[in-house]
Amino acid sequence: MQLATIKKSWMNQISDRSMLYMFLLPTFAFLLFLVVFPLIWSLYLSFCDYSANTANPPIYTGVANYTYIFRQTDVWERFIRTGQFVVEAVIIEFFLGFLIAMLLNREFRGKRLLTTLFILPMMFSPAVIGKFFRFMLDTNWGIVNYILGQLFGIQKIAWTTSYEYALSSIVLTDVWIWTPFMVLLSLAGLSSVPKYLYEAADVDRASAWFKFRYITLPYVAPILTLAALFRTMDAFRFFDVVYVLTEGGPSYTTQIVPFYIYKLAFSYWNTGMSCALAYILLIIIIALSNIYVNYLNSVRRA
Amino acid sequence: MKKLVSMFMVLMLCLGVISGMAFAEDVTLTITWAGWAPMDTLVALAEEFTAQTGIKIKGDPVPWPQYHDKVFTEFASGKTSFDIVLPDSQWIGEAVVGNHLLDITDWFNKTVKKEDFYDVFIQSFCEYPDGSAKYYGVPALGDFCGMAYRKDLFDDPKEQEAFKAKYGYDLKVPETYSQLKDIAEFFTRPDKNLYGIALWQAPIPSGGLVDEFLAVFWSFGADLWDPKTGQVKGILNSEKGVKAAQWWLDMYKFCPPGSTNYSMDEANTAMQQGLVAMMATYLAFYPGLVDPNMSMVADKIDFMPTPKEEQWWIQLGGQGMSVSSYSPHKEEALKFMEWWLTPETQWKWAQAGMFSCMKSIVEDDKYLGYAPVNKVARESYPHLRDFWEIPQYNEMGTFMAETLNAAVLGKYTAQEAMDITAEKHEEILKKAGYPLK
Repeated sequence: MQLATIKKSWMNQISDRSMLYMFLLPTFAFLLFLVVFPLIWSLYLSFCDYSANTANPPIYTGVANYTYIFRQTDVWERFIRTGQFVVEAVIIEFFLGFLIAMLLNREFRGKRLLTTLFILPMMFSPAVIGKFFRFMLDTNWGIVNYILGQLFGIQKIAWTTSYEYALSSIVLTDVWIWTPFMVLLSLAGLSSVPKYLYEAADVDRASAWFKFRYITLPYVAPILTLAALFRTMDAFRFFDVVYVLTEGGPSYTTQIVPFYIYKLAFSYWNTGMSCALAYILLIIIIALSNIYVNYLNSVRRA
Repeated sequence: MKKLVSMFMVLMLCLGVISGMAFAEDVTLTITWAGWAPMDTLVALAEEFTAQTGIKIKGDPVPWPQYHDKVFTEFASGKTSFDIVLPDSQWIGEAVVGNHLLDITDWFNKTVKKEDFYDVFIQSFCEYPDGSAKYYGVPALGDFCGMAYRKDLFDDPKEQEAFKAKYGYDLKVPETYSQLKDIAEFFTRPDKNLYGIALWQAPIPSGGLVDEFLAVFWSFGADLWDPKTGQVKGILNSEKGVKAAQWWLDMYKFCPPGSTNYSMDEANTAMQQGLVAMMATYLAFYPGLVDPNMSMVADKIDFMPTPKEEQWWIQLGGQGMSVSSYSPHKEEALKFMEWWLTPETQWKWAQAGMFSCMKSIVEDDKYLGYAPVNKVARESYPHLRDFWEIPQYNEMGTFMAETLNAAVLGKYTAQEAMDITAEKHEEILKKAGYPLK
């Protein structure tokens, strides 16, 4: 009887599935507007001669932007520099982060405080950290050169303005910011290893290396691979620290590809060319990610 | 229920009309400029305009390195948070081609007396293209590139004696780039943490190497390009151009180590901290150099023009004042610019220590007492020159700055650097549609 008295409203006539779609609709619209449409539109623009700064419409030019990019030796140099930066930064973060996690993966006094301190660099804005490193690495007034000079008598080093050290100063800053990320994921991996395996190994008087090689490593390998994947993808997008620390200099030595995309897009207003370069970078990142994922799957199967 | 909804809608409509009326009476103009002393002075001075008209003025300062990109990103979006912008002279082509600046030609012809201002300011800040008689701004800040030097070192009798013994002439404000080089060499004493000169070496087109190199380049008798055809090869990398580049490369050994990223802040700091005997900068930055709260050598600094060589050219700086074509308050903005151009306002601007663009003010001896740099302004204005004001200036300037910066670090010789730059400039101009014979 109660059911018979429920007023007929449009809400009661909608099925559960339709209601589900209605709730998902805003998210889909958001994704479509902010992700899918820009992807498709920028792909189209990469085949056009277009400047967002002018009132002229895009003019379709085929693969002209792509062939122009591939013909420029300075673009290839930027790709090499980017690859160099990614490899150095990710490798150092990987090993350093894992080492710190191994040290933290035991009970000792002050463990929580120490872990928090190790994680802190990741919490700050990269642009702010870049500015601090710029001051610290300044050739004439930086604290780093001051300490090196006072303690070891080393002459002033042009950390951010010489060919020898500029890229290293970017790597150093990236390592300082993102090693905590590797520490966190490594700790998560290490804590997933069942303790009884170590106890069993102790009973059999297994060496530390044996335990590490046959117990620790197989368990943490998947999460370490994932961490390396995330860091690699992220390193290819590294922009803010470069902008603040070296501004791409000296010359264009530290103008890694993301920075150059910014310059093409917002300084030269060569929108079509910047989209083309962005897509080339995207393809490289996808290719590398596939390698990582295949490796991850093989590790999991093993 | 229907009654309630109807009443609600009527109430909302009334509120909308009332608030619209309130906004229409209460206009606030937003001015965007770099975040530096002239901006603060302009906003302070604008209180008089508010008192006269009721139109409020709000300043939106942006750090110099981000200023161009921030302004043009807003332009590209088709909507600006500012009504009035003070663009660098080099931006005018880029801004006009994109229809981002209001064409004020009719208003300009009725309101502005061109003969009251130096021609170079009208041409660089207001008119685009050159000679077209189409105007997009009014003169605002007559800045230029000059030099600061340590007068205590120059006036020291022992230094003077030692300099004369070494170079055979008196130590004084250099008249030529050759003399400037000698003085920079003389004061380079790394063991005493003193270097000859701080120059902008940063590989960026604005506020970097190009700003200071080009005065040298032109003064050596070289030229950038043929604006009619876009030809660069044989002009930029001529013998004189290469000689100017060589002079620039030679000067680096008298600059502080690691100064290949020096822009405004770094060079100013080097001078303020007593690291260098001389520096080149846009002299609108002078307040920080003579402020005892910011400069360790505040009372030891004096100012001089950049020198000459075969010819005498000085890099134009400064900004004009333009209206954003996306501003909803164009009438009010033009009213502000009309107030800005009145002699009373221009005198107050000068009295506040800012560079005036008005001839009658600059040539009045009272002007010399308003700021220690004004004597240099008066001497420099007849020699001002600007670099490309075309939309491609950013890419061309960046490439030149990056290549010369690499040459400073030894990657290229002066000849190679100028050849590579000439090649690239022609490529950019050809793409932009220049005929390039």
